[in-house]
Amino acid sequence: MQTSHLISDSLRRLQRRLLPDGLNPIRQFLFAGTLALASLLPGLLLSSPAQALSCEALQAAEGTQTVSVHCGGAPSATFDQNNHLWVAFVADLHVYVSRSEDRGATFSAPVRVNTVPEDAEFNGENRPKIIVADDGTVLLSWTKKTSNRFTGEIRFARSTDGGRSFEEPRTINDDGLAIGHRFDSLFLTESGKLFVTWIDKRDLEASLANSEEYAGAAIYYTVSDDLGASFIPNVRVAHNSCECCRIAVAPHGEDDVAILWRQIFGDQVRDHAIAVLSHEGTVSDFSRATVDNWQIDACPHHGPTMVPASSEGQYHMSWFSAGTIHSGIHYARYDLASATPADIIKVDGTPGAGHPSLATFNDTLYLVWKGFDGMSTPLQLMRSHDNGHSWSTPQTVITTDQASDHPLLITSSDGVYLSWASEQHGYVFKELSND
Amino acid sequence: MINKRFASVVLFAALLLGAAHPGVSDDAPADNIEDFGPQTFTAIKAQFAGKPFVVSLWSVDCAPCRVELDMLGKMKQADPSFPLVVISTDSIEMRADAADILDEYQLAGETTWMFADSFVERLRFSIDPGWYGELPRSYFYDAEHNMMAHSGILTEEKFRELFPH
Repeated sequence: MQTSHLISDSLRRLQRRLLPDGLNPIRQFLFAGTLALASLLPGLLLSSPAQALSCEALQAAEGTQTVSVHCGGAPSATFDQNNHLWVAFVADLHVYVSRSEDRGATFSAPVRVNTVPEDAEFNGENRPKIIVADDGTVLLSWTKKTSNRFTGEIRFARSTDGGRSFEEPRTINDDGLAIGHRFDSLFLTESGKLFVTWIDKRDLEASLANSEEYAGAAIYYTVSDDLGASFIPNVRVAHNSCECCRIAVAPHGEDDVAILWRQIFGDQVRDHAIAVLSHEGTVSDFSRATVDNWQIDACPHHGPTMVPASSEGQYHMSWFSAGTIHSGIHYARYDLASATPADIIKVDGTPGAGHPSLATFNDTLYLVWKGFDGMSTPLQLMRSHDNGHSWSTPQTVITTDQASDHPLLITSSDGVYLSWASEQHGYVFKELSND
Repeated sequence: MINKRFASVVLFAALLLGAAHPGVSDDAPADNIEDFGPQTFTAIKAQFAGKPFVVSLWSVDCAPCRVELDMLGKMKQADPSFPLVVISTDSIEMRADAADILDEYQLAGETTWMFADSFVERLRFSIDPGWYGELPRSYFYDAEHNMMAHSGILTEEKFRELFPH
């Protein structure tokens, strides 16, 4: 069995596009042009993004060394207890955190998380994650790339002074091996249990050392009950996962989580599996969550999304496949007890479409994804008011004809927001629950 | 067609893309890697008008791609006239990494391409609107340019079956 792969993502390129010296007149032109363009945008959008500014325009105004969410690589976002927005992103070998008290209209000066430079991965499936606990502790995880041979470490850092400074990052994988540990996810339960999950190649490497075959990689996790001061030893969730798709995490009860990931079934069918991970380090047997029959000896860099449904033990999930049974982006509601999906629908079968994100708020389910029409990328949104039984007609939230990140949905106590970066619009943070 | 209201944006994008790679020619890199832009695939097909050819898509961050590059490098060594088009889906800013790998598989002497536009969705579309982006990915064009696509690692046997030329 070959070690399979992954399509490299282009989001790294989004980080910075420097204008060379000598193009100052063009800077002026671009800045003026972007402002002029901003006046055209409302006609194209449901409503204009708040204060979003392309990195080029920002650099034209403030210089090419500007560190900003609008120039940051693969940002992710969260709300704290006060409904202040926190965004983590990568720039110049540093993870940065920036805060907004006006829902993304303006941001605080970014604060460096890692003081020593390191190659934090930032692309669609690999990005710094950020959560702010109820007591104000700021928690981050990311993947540190350690070579061009698919190796990395799972990194964790936190701030106990409200984000003014960060403790030195720690490596969470405890095998001490210079192998693949990548695609981290971070989740904090309401009861304060902090979960880190990732894709790990220690079992693959051990098998190869014994000249044994091993399909794919493995899923591992760890838990902290003291907000990251300490973690339990690493726990294996499953052998034979796909190597390069983000893992979706959702709460299960007060203390535990359910996770959804792309798993290798049989020789090379790469569909999805779901399992419950306890805060005590025990794992339920996983079950097959999607039956798409995607036979491929490669990895699509295309992970799922999952949020809890209204009934205990049920989950809304959306995923991508190019299988013979399901091809394109799909939605289903999965019931853990009966191990069956319900209300499966094809969301978008266009080959360029992908990267769905789900959120729930006020009994409404939101699903956003990236479309592609051959020339431009529309971000599509549809809603369900009946737990995923029926859906609204998709509507376009915003469009770009330049490079863009995966869309993410962020929930606060008062709404659902789109978090999205693109070359054209910079970092867009936009409420979706007010339309 | 491009929405008229976006025409100015496209202009800006063209400007920026032109400005984004000013170092490429200045640095005069010692490789045979060329920019792959939105029109490049059309030009490649024109170059092979009336002739069969094979396209292999790979990336630096793709382990199974290297199995395929190894096979293709050997085939090219055995038959230098083999009509092979190798395209890396990495940004051309990573050309040094790609050149090292191509050299390892004896493909550094050939003209190959790397994605040179950050809007990769459009580049993928220009190669094949039906491609989901998975790698390795290969295409087999016959002399009439009827195309067959393959995802995942190719064995030499499978390769010969799909490309009996």
